[in-house]
Amino acid sequence: MPLRRLFALTSVAFLLVLAISPAKNFFRPYRAIQKRYAALGVARARSAQQAREYENRPVAIHQFWLTGLDNRVDRCTTCHLGVADTLMRGAPSPFTLHPWTPHTPAQFERFGCTSCHSGQGPATTEGQAHGTAADAGPPLLPVSYVEAGCGRCHSTVTVPDAPLLSRGRAVMERYGCFACHSVRGREAYRSEAPPLASEPVKTGAEWLRRWLTKPRDVDPNATMPNFQLTAKEIEELSHYLFGQNVPEELARSVKAAGEEPAGDAANGKRLFSESRCISCHTVEGKGQGSAPELSKVASAASRGWLLAYIRDPHAFNPRTPMPRYHFSDAESRDVVAYMEDEFRDFDAPKDILEPLRVNRTLAEAGEKTFRRYGCFSCHAAPGTRASEKFGPDLDGIGDKRAAFLDFGRRTDLPRTLTSWLAAKVESPRSFAKGLKMPSYGFSPEETQAVVTALLGFGAQPVPEAYRVVPASLPAPIPAGRVGRLVDRYRCLSCHQIGDRGGDISTAPLTFAGSKMQRDWLVDYLVLSFSIRPILTERMPIFRMPREEAVELADAMETLFVDPRVPEDPFQGRPASDGDPAEGERLYATLGCRACHIVGKSGGYVGPPLTDSGTRLKPGWTYTWLKGPQRWRADVRCPDFGLTDRDALRLTGYLATLRQPPAQAKGAK
Amino acid sequence: MKPLRFLGALLAVLTVLTACSRKPAVKPAVAKAQPPMPSYELRLGRATFEHYCQTCHGETGAGDGFNAFNLDPHPRDISDPAFQKKKTDAELADAIQRGGAGVGLSSLMPPWGRTLSREEIDHTILYIRSLRKKSP
Repeated sequence: MPLRRLFALTSVAFLLVLAISPAKNFFRPYRAIQKRYAALGVARARSAQQAREYENRPVAIHQFWLTGLDNRVDRCTTCHLGVADTLMRGAPSPFTLHPWTPHTPAQFERFGCTSCHSGQGPATTEGQAHGTAADAGPPLLPVSYVEAGCGRCHSTVTVPDAPLLSRGRAVMERYGCFACHSVRGREAYRSEAPPLASEPVKTGAEWLRRWLTKPRDVDPNATMPNFQLTAKEIEELSHYLFGQNVPEELARSVKAAGEEPAGDAANGKRLFSESRCISCHTVEGKGQGSAPELSKVASAASRGWLLAYIRDPHAFNPRTPMPRYHFSDAESRDVVAYMEDEFRDFDAPKDILEPLRVNRTLAEAGEKTFRRYGCFSCHAAPGTRASEKFGPDLDGIGDKRAAFLDFGRRTDLPRTLTSWLAAKVESPRSFAKGLKMPSYGFSPEETQAVVTALLGFGAQPVPEAYRVVPASLPAPIPAGRVGRLVDRYRCLSCHQIGDRGGDISTAPLTFAGSKMQRDWLVDYLVLSFSIRPILTERMPIFRMPREEAVELADAMETLFVDPRVPEDPFQGRPASDGDPAEGERLYATLGCRACHIVGKSGGYVGPPLTDSGTRLKPGWTYTWLKGPQRWRADVRCPDFGLTDRDALRLTGYLATLRQPPAQAKGAK
Repeated sequence: MKPLRFLGALLAVLTVLTACSRKPAVKPAVAKAQPPMPSYELRLGRATFEHYCQTCHGETGAGDGFNAFNLDPHPRDISDPAFQKKKTDAELADAIQRGGAGVGLSSLMPPWGRTLSREEIDHTILYIRSLRKKSP
């Protein structure tokens, strides 16, 4: 009998033990959370029916199962129940409605949660899911860095609706991070930093000392970071740089230019402003700022060097964005005379441009210093080459576990990846002695942006279906004479052709041949004027010979055309048949004059249209009016949704506005 | 009766044990001094406002953008608390979508309904609301 009783008892005990695991689930915190959500839903419901729905929702685990995205399972919505529920706008955490993003609420099923927010999708307790528990996996991304998630799939520099990530990536491009650090997709990155071969004939020992001490103090536009060099290292580097053999041709041209007579500074001033140097450079902070500040340039470079450089910048730095202007010898002397007069550091010592008497031993030590800090990654100096990247790879930096990071001396930091990265970007050498990464002096916003960009570099590429790569567009730049002209005037430093080129200009050349009338273009290239007077970045006057302008305009007419633009929207009838009077009335009622000038009145946002009939092809005007955003997504000209007939009338009116280019310039 | 009570006690003990098995989560040190940041939607709204609206309406919405002096009538001060109070979000959205001419005001304010998405307009309104001047 006692045996039987014992057996009964152990059986019951066994059953109870078996029941523990479901029971454990029964006491999970999410159950209480789901009940709170139901209560909140009932309170917020707009109808009895809706309230009943909240009440009757079974308590259960909710999940997204992303079969296409590495079989991720995200159970975040087990607690974050209101992410797609518009009744939960402004509800208390964890029930609040997810903010709108390009992928939510429409695409929760495709992206889940952890693909942007990181954290542990399958976990169902807060500590495990958010990664705050001691034994949890990689934690949730702090919400201020959440745009890093966009970077996992989007590999373009500018990512729409991710301003912080885009800024971070732009900063990384500008400051040359990828010259030292390799990352998937940017293997081909090459710095635009000048080669240093002509340094001995360019500058003086004192200027170089100042520059190496703190580049930003010498030039606020400097992208070269502060290497925190010791006085000894600076001296060694100076001897190394001054001890180089200047290529014979450069040395000769600088020397010859230095002996030329002085030019006319007054004419130089006029040329300087016509050449629109501040479309890239700045003068006392005024200008675009991607190229060096010029207000002290005559105390940084010798007269001969300036003159030789302006005449042929590409001989000194084949990768410079600076165009080669078509100045005559006298004109370039005038420009330099103006610079010598005005662009001087009047506080600088007289000997700032005195060269250095080179000591071979110090120069040899300097060469080692040059290599030790990886200077060759950006500056291709003779005898050095960047066969492999100098710094560590950045692939996977966004997935690094905090436990694997070396915090070194930084015991003040919280042990998280984000704080480690922020400190690394802010003061790279603070972690240990002997580190080499220089300091960039970023503002807190820039640091946050760069950290966001870094967190976007995942260890594994996302599946193909999720990748958004830079658009690959044909860039039909011909070889031969036209190609050489495009290269000489460095059109691509400002304009885009296909998927190549810079973004200083708002006018891509890809469809320039469909847009601009050939004769106008020839005149414009010879004597450019500002189409938009409010812009700082304007087209320079290159002093281009007419033959070259004709050649470029003809090439555009043939190559840079778009099949979407009709040759003749009026289909053989004269433009006046398009009812220009009606078009003029439309121009007034649509409010075009808010942004455009015709004659003497109108706004300054868009280009003046006084000469639109001479400048633009009617086919272009027509297609533009039918949807400006087709040509540039962010263009400010609104889409008025014009009918074909109205667009044609307006085109007809704009085609009657004619003015020869010379007069257009005079009107300014 | 007795075994039932016994079973009850056993269940209670097991429950307590299960509840205790989870250690409380260790609170990690929180990263200090994150730069304060407006919400994502507000930031998107600001970007849209700065790109499309600021040229006329001005940085603070006071109607003093650089292009404002070319316009007759001038853009109104949309940061004015009285204006902000009078207009509902739906009215603002309507004016942005259909433009001045669409709502019986100046045609110099163009219609943005085909250029900006509904979300972009909503975010912009969120930002416009944040421009509201403090009542004097």
